[in-house]
Amino acid sequence: MPNNLEGKVAIVTGSGRGVGRGIAKLMAEEGAKVVVVDPGVNVDGTGFDQSIAEVVVGEIRDAGGTAVACTESVATMEGGERIVQAAIDNFGRLDIVVCCAGILRDRMVFNMTEQEWDDVIAVHLKGTFTVVKHACILFRQQRSGRVITFSSQSGLVGNSGQANYGAAKSGIAGLTKVVAKDMGRYGVTANAIAPRASTRMIGAIPESAAEIRARGGVASLSGDGGGDGELQNLDPDGIAPFVAYLASDYASNVNGQTFLVYGNTVSLMSQPRPEKAIWTESGHWEMDELSARARGYLTAGIANPAPAQQR
Amino acid sequence: MPLLEDKVAIVTGAGRGIGRGVAKLMASEGAKVVVCDLGVNVDGSGVDVSVAQQVVNEIGELGGTAVACTESVATMAGGEKIVQTAVDNFGKLDIVVTVAGILRDRMVFNMTEEEWDDVIAVHLKGTFTVVKHASILFRQQRSGRIITFSSTSGLYGNSGQANYGAAKDGIAGFTRVCARDLGRYGVTANAISPSASTRMTTSVPDEARALRSARGIAAGGGLRGDAEDVAPMVTWLASDEAQHVNGHVFHVTGGLVTLLNEPEPVKTIQKDSRWTVDELAGVFPATIGVELYNPAPAPPPSA
Repeated sequence: MPNNLEGKVAIVTGSGRGVGRGIAKLMAEEGAKVVVVDPGVNVDGTGFDQSIAEVVVGEIRDAGGTAVACTESVATMEGGERIVQAAIDNFGRLDIVVCCAGILRDRMVFNMTEQEWDDVIAVHLKGTFTVVKHACILFRQQRSGRVITFSSQSGLVGNSGQANYGAAKSGIAGLTKVVAKDMGRYGVTANAIAPRASTRMIGAIPESAAEIRARGGVASLSGDGGGDGELQNLDPDGIAPFVAYLASDYASNVNGQTFLVYGNTVSLMSQPRPEKAIWTESGHWEMDELSARARGYLTAGIANPAPAQQR
Repeated sequence: MPLLEDKVAIVTGAGRGIGRGVAKLMASEGAKVVVCDLGVNVDGSGVDVSVAQQVVNEIGELGGTAVACTESVATMAGGEKIVQTAVDNFGKLDIVVTVAGILRDRMVFNMTEEEWDDVIAVHLKGTFTVVKHASILFRQQRSGRIITFSSTSGLYGNSGQANYGAAKDGIAGFTRVCARDLGRYGVTANAISPSASTRMTTSVPDEARALRSARGIAAGGGLRGDAEDVAPMVTWLASDEAQHVNGHVFHVTGGLVTLLNEPEPVKTIQKDSRWTVDELAGVFPATIGVELYNPAPAPPPSA
């Protein structure tokens, strides 16, 4: 029995199903005591089924591990605080938070409602903040801790029909980089995962969204020849080993990074870096000068992910 | 012919700083401009309707055309009214530039819900509310320009700005999706990451700057440019000349304009079955982990 997380206590939000479930189970296998957080909602955020988290706890216990269920919502500050408190009340400490909880409400931006925007931002982005903030109070005091958040290629690269989700997931990447800087000197690390896997959530992407993308000549999510179809074959449990590695003492100096993880592949994502630059000696552009340099060099041959279509 | 002849532009946060520079340059290039600004303080409190009107007056004195709008970007109704103001006054809309923003810096472990919510509401939702309503028109007319404002604080992370960094990186992600939702209708969406000395950036306490540098925490980027220096690139992106530029992030400071790369995998490890933690512990440090940059390393334990 491996024990790379022996003696550690972990919170995994959204661990009732999919990617989160795989992480909770592997962390327990590696010796961590796990708070399985999941209110058991539908993919669109509706409903409530507290048995979802209980089922995963049962599976962990059957395999000889230790876990408790928590059905608090990540979307409120009180919920985030109670989730952290559940770790303390049950296991006396907290070492690791993994934020997988998320919902989907896809819609083209010109049709997206306020509710669709607010709900997705609340669960993903604020739902990451509420748990991480309260965990960081403890992590700072104990001068150790691991924050592992979930971003997405939809945010990092962009995916049509997901203005809310893309904003939230890219926002989580930004939040994580700030947390890395706020907390690094206290011995805490914060890193983001951009996973690709076939889960219930991906299954909820309307067929029409994929069709619209294909019909409109819009670049699909995966830049390496895959696209929407490729996700169907990616096991969600493939994400867990690298997350458990990041949570372990081995990864104490891995901080502020984003990793793309799918199947049996782990990639470090690039930090933003300059690709091309133009400048003016005077320090202040004249429009004619900028126009010539922007057209002639800076944006010459630039990729367009969704070129204009004829009517 | 001026670059933006006959165009109608909305510029949010145009009462001061970068937004003001954008509104004024766009007007001087022939655009009719809706100058949106609540006239609030940097932390979002207070309202001063004269701030937007002052910029409108400045534009008028230079022979340009503009109207003031003091609706808040933070609500859907406000975003809709801002777009309606363009249509009511000038009959159409071609360009939206979303600069409006506030700051509430705090270390993440001390950040309050209100500090989080207010910054997300103005920056992130405040970009959505205007862009969503503009994109309804843009799709119908099969043209339009969306120029949003991200930040190095989101792209690289800046200590003490969990709310702002989340909002600003969120805007970059939102913009990339808009580019893909709207590109085929002839619309472009791009984001600017500016570095400029403005009222907002000077509100970051000197002590906070000193603290960051004393602790060896890398700063997000230098603030050497003037607020007006951001306007030319924004104005060019808004023009017909930039029809081919869609879905990108440009860093602008002083006379320097940089196209930032698309996020991409730079180092990869792979095997033909599932990894174990023990295997990763062996392979990662010798591959992906080599020379991996830690932006805020823990100090060595004191003896």
